[in-house]
Amino acid sequence: MIAADLSMTQDSRPVLGQAALSLQGLSRSFGSLQALSSVSLDIEEGEFFTIVGPSGSGKTTLLRILAGLDQPTEGQLLLRGRDITRLAPNKRPTAMVFQSLALFDHRTVGENVGFALKMRGIAKAKRDARARELLELVRLGAEYFDKPVTQCSGGERQRVALARVLASEPEILFFDEPLSALDYRLRKTLEVELRALQKRTGRTFVYITHSLEEAMVMSDRIGIMRDGQLVQVGSPAEIYGRPDSRFVASFMGEVNILKVAEGRLPELDLPLPGTPDGYVVLRPEALRLEEGTETGAPGFAARVAEVFRLGSRVQLHLESPAGLMIAELPAETQIRPGATARVSFAPEAAHWVAE
Amino acid sequence: MSPGRTGYLFALPVALFLLAGFATPIGIVAWYSLMEPRTFALTAETTLTNYRAAFTEGYGPPFFWSITGAVATTLACALLAWPTAKMLHQLAGRGAAVLTGLIAVPIFVSESVRLFGMSLFLMPGGGILAGSLRALFDVNIGTVLNTKLGVFLGMVYVHFPFMLFPLLLGVALIPQDRRDAARDLGASRWQILREVELPLAMPGLIIGALLTFVLCVGANAEAAILGGQAISVVTRAIEQRFSYAQDWPMGAALTMLVVAVTALVVFPALARIDLNKLIRR
Repeated sequence: MIAADLSMTQDSRPVLGQAALSLQGLSRSFGSLQALSSVSLDIEEGEFFTIVGPSGSGKTTLLRILAGLDQPTEGQLLLRGRDITRLAPNKRPTAMVFQSLALFDHRTVGENVGFALKMRGIAKAKRDARARELLELVRLGAEYFDKPVTQCSGGERQRVALARVLASEPEILFFDEPLSALDYRLRKTLEVELRALQKRTGRTFVYITHSLEEAMVMSDRIGIMRDGQLVQVGSPAEIYGRPDSRFVASFMGEVNILKVAEGRLPELDLPLPGTPDGYVVLRPEALRLEEGTETGAPGFAARVAEVFRLGSRVQLHLESPAGLMIAELPAETQIRPGATARVSFAPEAAHWVAE
Repeated sequence: MSPGRTGYLFALPVALFLLAGFATPIGIVAWYSLMEPRTFALTAETTLTNYRAAFTEGYGPPFFWSITGAVATTLACALLAWPTAKMLHQLAGRGAAVLTGLIAVPIFVSESVRLFGMSLFLMPGGGILAGSLRALFDVNIGTVLNTKLGVFLGMVYVHFPFMLFPLLLGVALIPQDRRDAARDLGASRWQILREVELPLAMPGLIIGALLTFVLCVGANAEAAILGGQAISVVTRAIEQRFSYAQDWPMGAALTMLVVAVTALVVFPALARIDLNKLIRR
């Protein structure tokens, strides 16, 4: 009875057991192009949820609908149980960090950060004080307050954009690949900081990226998108360990995918008893190598085509009966290009997917 | 040769032309304005008589109407051109070229011809406006022709393109994501206009306003063709001094005052904008 009452309220406070954001069959078409087809998902309160997909998979369209900058052609969007599908973005308790950051270059850092508060008619002294606090929170420091945005570096602009959305005290923050333009080291630093900030503020973050690696570092859960559909949702460990399609598996980086038919791997001529028809995914680190081509041990013969030393490990490109395969071995492995080897793997390391 | 030197060299032809065709005549006019009234000599003693006369002998109203008319026309053109520019920018490609052409083509027709056309439109009794209103709605209006309103309509009609085209460039300086970001951060339509769109489009708006204002201060055909005796503008007064009254020094003094007013408006406004921003985009 009480629960029913709570869910009826228009108040946007967290309700136990209710999704922060509930996507119900969201579709969006542009003319004959179906950008999103019936995406359904519940994003939990205080969760860091990342949507990953290649470009053109519909992830930006989805995020724009969540932020209210676009409308779905079908479906509903509920914020804590309340339908906000048609609510204008300036009426929503959500805020977005744009891919371009969309900073107001004609304003100072302080004015950018205080923008949302100014729009609400909050007095200048109060919003300036809040802007300085937020600049500290994103580790820029209050001394940036009077600096023109145009004089900030890439990383500083990121932090300004972050402080600017935090100022509106949003219930949910959206991120549209904001780190994609930064160099590798800065991106790594900011990924960790963003995750820490999310934990500290306890807010719900919805992040989109085309980099699964980025998603793995930051997220509580990941949703993989392909051709406007959400193909798999799960924790980083689940997505990594148990991809449910070849698409998800190959999206995660370099993996070996082999066909299964009638309990065998026909390409390698190896038995794999009890495995239904479909495919198996073999991670590079699951392959074991023995130099020389002695028969006996179960496995297949391959020739080492290339050797890449990656610091902590060695990556090998193998010419196998199934074509190019990739293996990763400990860094101390001594093996040269041109060597022949017997390759094997534990049957339980082969992860089966239907398609 | 250093790039700076080359730049001066390239600027030389236009600099010479401006010196001969623009600076010299202005210099002569300025000198004339200091001569005794109704004389044609350039070698007499200098005097400020003409400037004193400009402030005391009834030239106030023409000055007032020229400047008021220019300000009002500039504001009206800006108000009309803003939504037009935004619409044309959004249409981009689809029909925008046709619409832009329709607005631009009349510029190629002589201004007097267009204004005579407009006088046919505004004429009382059998004019197109008054006649249509009477025939279709049985509404009788007085005359618009030969009134201040008629002059104002003519001024807006003639000068609208000079506001619109710079403003189109200005509107193109507003990235869509800035609008989206402002909306996402809680800004209403009005707040987006004031906080984001106007400041970002400001270079175009200022250039358009300057062009319109300067052209309006120098306009007299609208008042002559559409205004009848309703209004006297300063350019008309200057023309009369030079031709009919044969008082070149007085005309020159009035001219210098118009130049001064224009300079007072133009230079501070130009100092506020970065022209490169408008061109490089």
